[in-house]
Amino acid sequence: MYGTTAKILRVDLTNGTIETQTLSEDFYRMYPGGKALAGYILLTELPPHTEPFSPENVMVFANGLLTGAPVSTATRYVVSARSPLTGGYGESEAGGFWGPELKMAGWEAIVVKGKAPKPVYLWVNGDQAEIRPAEHLWGQMTAEVQESIRSELGDDKIRVLQIGPAGEKLVRFAGITNDLRHFNGRNGLGAVMGSKNLRAIAVRGNQRYQSLAYDAKTLMAIGGKLAKTVKENPLSWDLQERGTPGLVEPLNTGGILPTRNFRQGAFENVDEVKWEMYEKTLLTARRTCYACAVRCKREVAVEGRESPYGGPEYETVGAFGPNCGVSDLQAIAKANELCNAYMLDSISCGATIAFAMECFEHGLLTLEDTGGLDLRFGNAEAMLQVIELIGRREGIGDLLAEGCKRAAEKIGGDAPFFAMQVKGQELAMHEPRGKFNVGMGYAISEIGADHLVVAHDTAFAKPEAIQLKAAAPLGITQALPPRSLGEEKMEMFYILERWGSLEKVTGFCFFGPAPRSFIPPEDVLQSINAATGWNISMDEALTIGERATNLARLFNAREGFTRKDDTLPERLFTGLENGALQGQAIPRDEFEQSLTILYQKKGWDPQTGLPTPEKLRALGLEWAIDVVSSNQ
Amino acid sequence: MKLYAGGHVTFYMPGRKHTLEISLSEPTPLREVLARVGIPLPEVALTAVNGELVEAETAIVSDSDQVRVFSAVNGG
Repeated sequence: MYGTTAKILRVDLTNGTIETQTLSEDFYRMYPGGKALAGYILLTELPPHTEPFSPENVMVFANGLLTGAPVSTATRYVVSARSPLTGGYGESEAGGFWGPELKMAGWEAIVVKGKAPKPVYLWVNGDQAEIRPAEHLWGQMTAEVQESIRSELGDDKIRVLQIGPAGEKLVRFAGITNDLRHFNGRNGLGAVMGSKNLRAIAVRGNQRYQSLAYDAKTLMAIGGKLAKTVKENPLSWDLQERGTPGLVEPLNTGGILPTRNFRQGAFENVDEVKWEMYEKTLLTARRTCYACAVRCKREVAVEGRESPYGGPEYETVGAFGPNCGVSDLQAIAKANELCNAYMLDSISCGATIAFAMECFEHGLLTLEDTGGLDLRFGNAEAMLQVIELIGRREGIGDLLAEGCKRAAEKIGGDAPFFAMQVKGQELAMHEPRGKFNVGMGYAISEIGADHLVVAHDTAFAKPEAIQLKAAAPLGITQALPPRSLGEEKMEMFYILERWGSLEKVTGFCFFGPAPRSFIPPEDVLQSINAATGWNISMDEALTIGERATNLARLFNAREGFTRKDDTLPERLFTGLENGALQGQAIPRDEFEQSLTILYQKKGWDPQTGLPTPEKLRALGLEWAIDVVSSNQ
Repeated sequence: MKLYAGGHVTFYMPGRKHTLEISLSEPTPLREVLARVGIPLPEVALTAVNGELVEAETAIVSDSDQVRVFSAVNGG
């Protein structure tokens, strides 16, 4: 078998045992890594209704098929477990260097079960693995722990994946970092790792992906061509030039910059937080992930010194900036540092603080509740203090560490209206009242509000635009307005969702393949085929993506999720308070009708939102039909 | 007029600089200005003239105007 190491490292922390599993080619072609492999393992090995923080929860760290290949943006791996934030299928992807290093060490995935009696970390050195004590690391910030592990193992090239103090304290939106700059932020999976007393997984490998490939020469040629293309394509050029913080001003101009907990779509102090200010006051350098020519990562100075944690992405600028009413870019960069030191998901953390600010302004939280903090929108100092309280689960931070949905239920009154979440996960910093397919993605995603389900509507608004033309090989040729729903828009969604899911299976970044970025779909397929020798078609590729999505949906079906959970926060059905889209809302009836259309396209029952037996058979998932029938 | 390009339309600006000063002797359709600069109109998703949203296809601009054009804003 080509393109894969075909090996899974299985670790039982309760017993301290480590084993190797070898995968067959027939199996791997059905579930070729990442989201597909993780979904299969969770669905078949995790007992239904397992409490997320119990030792029985299963954690999967799964590389994509192409993770580590010499192709720009093929760097990502998936972490998966039952989510303590949503109670459903938990998943979060990250780039960086850890996934490729794991592949170079000879492993496609690590599956962790049980709970260590005391804090430990896992050391994977090529084909050898051992569980080592980590009591001396417990409670330390992530930068200190990375340095300690590299020092005690005597190799500064070791790649360290780890949680921070927030994961140890079971903050429900605690994340996982690798190299301090790349994050499996979403779904609270850092807290699951913390519940297992597993602080870190350190990895060192010396294999090269090319040695696994069916046709290494072709794979190298594709990678070389794409590396040259990065600077010639406007989309990837802009990602390299500005990175994601470049989104701030155009979103504001379009009236879709989430502001003050999604009440507003424009921020009056946008000039203080837009890219030019970031470049002038924070930026020190540009960085990248393994073998990626895009170089969208940013290095920044915070409090007059180089930050060890990299710079804030757009999501972080948005979450702690406009969405909290904060216009102090230094404070936003500090918030980014704190999140990465404690290892909190900066999206959920910022969104939960924005929620708390709105509760405070409505008297639902008082000075007594906040420990004297004046938690009004715009108070950057209070925001920074609350991040630390959340990271330590102290004071008001203990309540907010539950995420905005659970916190709202405890606060009561109008608080649930202010909780901008789906399935318990906070919205990312993309305003769906201006991008209806983004709203559909928030609603339907198995992991709760996720902004990476489909390429955003705005890319397909104009005929002749480069992104629409780049989507033609996927079957998308018609321009459609961002604020539209209906049959044609749902067809677009259905195609883009399968393509996006394929990216999460194969290890591609959202900033790699067209239509979001620069890699033509045919080069994605050629890369897969050069790696594996499979000669897969576009149809098979989209089916692989769709199968992975259905595995996640089946997991949620087993946990009791149905159509009623595929919804949006009530606020989104009301009008924006300001900006270019002032007064605009998502039309509820049309949204529900389009959800039905989408279910039908996906082969899901319109009443329940669950896969039909016919669909599961078509995807080769007939073995899972009982999962749905037992739910009904 | 002063032209600012945000997002990937900056790619089409001379020298890939985000700002450009352009002399206009009379009010001119923005689409003509953009064509002169080399920015393809289909790539312009949002246009603000002196802080007001306008349609790039129909806007008329003058020498004293501040014009900001942006590509479609993508996620991620």
